[in-house]
Amino acid sequence: MSYHCPVCKKVSHAPLDLARHMIGRGDKVHRDWIYSKGFKYSELLLLQIKSFGGEGFKALAEVLEKETKVED
Amino acid sequence: MSKYSVIGARVRMIGGTEKVTGDAKYTSDLTLPGMLYGKILRSPHPHAKILNIDTSKAEKMIGVKAVVTGADTIGKKQGIWRRFPELCDEEILCRAKVRYIGDAVAAVAAVDEDTAEEALGLIEVEYETLPAVFDPMEAITEEAPQIHEGVELNINVNRHIEWGNVDEAFTKCDHIREDQFVCSSQAHMCMETHCALASFDYNGKLTVWTSTQSSYYIQVLLMGMLGMREGDIRVINPYTGGGFGSKFELDSAQFCASLLSKKICRPVKIVLTREEEFTATKRRTPMYYFLKLGAKKDGTLLAKEVRVITEGGAYTAMGATALYLTGFFSSFPYKYPNYRYDGYRSYTNTEPTSAMRGFGAPQSTFVGESQLDMMAEDLGIDPIEIRRKNGMTPDYVVPGQAFIQSCGLHQCLDKIEALIKERGKLPPNHGIGIAAYGFMSGGIFNWFDTPYSFSAAIVKINIDGKVDLFTGANEIGQGSNTTLSMICAEELGVKFEDIRIHSADTGICPPDLGGWGSRQTLMSGNAVKMAAADAKRQIMEFAAAKMGVNIVYDLDIKDQWIHLVDRPERGVSYFDVVKEAIRGRDGEVIIGRGHYTPHRKGMISPAYSFGIQAAEVEVDPETGKYKLLNVSTAHDSGQVINQVGIEGQLEGAIMMAGGYGYCEDQPMDKGKILNPSIADYKMIRSLDMPETKILEIDTYEPEGPFGAKEAGEGLTNPTAGAIGNAIYKAVGVRVNTLPITPEKVFRALREKESKQKR
Repeated sequence: MSYHCPVCKKVSHAPLDLARHMIGRGDKVHRDWIYSKGFKYSELLLLQIKSFGGEGFKALAEVLEKETKVED
Repeated sequence: MSKYSVIGARVRMIGGTEKVTGDAKYTSDLTLPGMLYGKILRSPHPHAKILNIDTSKAEKMIGVKAVVTGADTIGKKQGIWRRFPELCDEEILCRAKVRYIGDAVAAVAAVDEDTAEEALGLIEVEYETLPAVFDPMEAITEEAPQIHEGVELNINVNRHIEWGNVDEAFTKCDHIREDQFVCSSQAHMCMETHCALASFDYNGKLTVWTSTQSSYYIQVLLMGMLGMREGDIRVINPYTGGGFGSKFELDSAQFCASLLSKKICRPVKIVLTREEEFTATKRRTPMYYFLKLGAKKDGTLLAKEVRVITEGGAYTAMGATALYLTGFFSSFPYKYPNYRYDGYRSYTNTEPTSAMRGFGAPQSTFVGESQLDMMAEDLGIDPIEIRRKNGMTPDYVVPGQAFIQSCGLHQCLDKIEALIKERGKLPPNHGIGIAAYGFMSGGIFNWFDTPYSFSAAIVKINIDGKVDLFTGANEIGQGSNTTLSMICAEELGVKFEDIRIHSADTGICPPDLGGWGSRQTLMSGNAVKMAAADAKRQIMEFAAAKMGVNIVYDLDIKDQWIHLVDRPERGVSYFDVVKEAIRGRDGEVIIGRGHYTPHRKGMISPAYSFGIQAAEVEVDPETGKYKLLNVSTAHDSGQVINQVGIEGQLEGAIMMAGGYGYCEDQPMDKGKILNPSIADYKMIRSLDMPETKILEIDTYEPEGPFGAKEAGEGLTNPTAGAIGNAIYKAVGVRVNTLPITPEKVFRALREKESKQKR
């Protein structure tokens, strides 16, 4: 099972890794996809920055798990 | 007896005599016929729109030959992360907006420096000032002004590393600590300021002599910014007075001198003043560190979580790499089964921050080693023991990141432990602190997107047996020309004196990424070794035929004697064979070629150095003033190539890293650096230097030439942490912000006293 980035098709093996990739890449196309799912990119970032636990990633990963899963 | 003839010897640095006698010619010493002198006009505002630039009065001034502004450029933004266009964000000559005090807006070429300086005063720049933000913690708020269009929260780059299950691991810990630290900035303080002499000729070719850590990078970056072809630009690196990470990006001297020269087809030289060096180049990255560390009662480290926010300054520069490396080295040199790192680099309206010796690792080592000592104390475990229990060992895999082959960390611990025991009971207010560290031997990452190998070398054997070695590696004072010549001589079986090295001239040398990231001994060294082996093979083929041996592999060359491996007395002179070989090949010159690019070696580096440092301090509990008495280092750099070289690196590193821990800082007021002079910038000087000692460790790195790995930057990593831990041992106070000045120690002591009274 793998998770394909909905923007650039980068393959990740876990939704958390894919969330890390999408927030980390942070360019306009990735951000636009994040916005389209009802998130505010800046809020996810602040969540990450201000607390331990990777909460910003986890929030996005929940959506990615449902929407980007590919059975190998 | 050593199996090597040259490797491991004490060899005097090539060019050292020229330097100490004043004969060495640096870029600022060079002149060309018809040469002009350039000066750069810089922004006095931390953040402002440029509404208009009027250069007419300056252009009319007698003696002024050319003025350039952003309008004379092709409008590109440069950056060393060429694979990521959004990270190429620096115009150098700003067209619409300035983002820090020191951003360049115009440059003048005139018949002398005074005229050029005076002409700068005649350039009228109309600004509209904008709100500015200077602190990264403020820059990442919704209310902060946006420094680069489209960059939300001013977050320039973020980097994440994770393995294991951190959250679950913390639930299994017996003890968890959360701590915060602040790491300050630091100036590179190269003895030679940034400078360039550019000469554009009527054939459309540009030659640039410049003080740089990478001739190749400067060639390619100039190509992009000037709209020229790579082959039309030649970059030559004369004697260079230090780099320390500040000189492998395109700087304002290089770009403005080239642009001015291109405009008027005359040579133009620009030498930055010391004040410009402090305020308008790059500096070490200040960092806010938030650490969470969990362990079992017996000291086994189970989980670590790290959050970092770095002050990026106005542009990306090499900050993205520093952000990644500080995260990676936050896990060093320990076997964390569960690890998470989140790093964020924030734009601010301050001088850009970038690479500096250690590349993010001095910061991570200071905070990590401080917290580890706190954890050890909480658990009642000796600091050496907690490091021994968790320290990396050979053949260790850092999950998803790195493969450690050689690792002498435990040998280093043994040596330092013996040294501390030998020192015995310390006098009152003395303390010995330790810090463990590791560092890379060159980076694997290719963010520059070079199509070439990372290092390359050519070896040419002359008819008299003397050898010309061509390498793109940059000698910046660290001794790489000496190291690479030694490697060449050893591989070829000739004397060190037989080698003549030609380095860092893109017109005659093969490309090499240059002198940064502690990469040249291993990467350039491997390329040189391969080139020498290639030339040697050609000589041996001829020798084998001459000597009538069956297999060329039966032969070797040592001390200029070609001989049977099993019967060394049976052989022929290297010089005779070379002569005959060249004649026998119809006069064709013997040329060996070598190249090196690490493959399948993880994300960071093909090899890592390790070490432990112990610092002894004496603290005056009344005033907080302290003396750094002794710094002893057990450093695992694999096979030492040049003993003198490693001693020089260590002493220089202690001065630089001791300064980072003790006194060096760049305080600012609204983005303006307040101490931009050597008089005001406090650093450790010769009289402040502690005694230093190197404890030798015997390891062999399979990936390195003759088993060698880095000995440059790693040595800069531990000192601040060792000082902090030593002060705690001496008087029981801990300072979590760098530099640990006597004033901070004084305040901490008073706070401790008032707590005790309460």
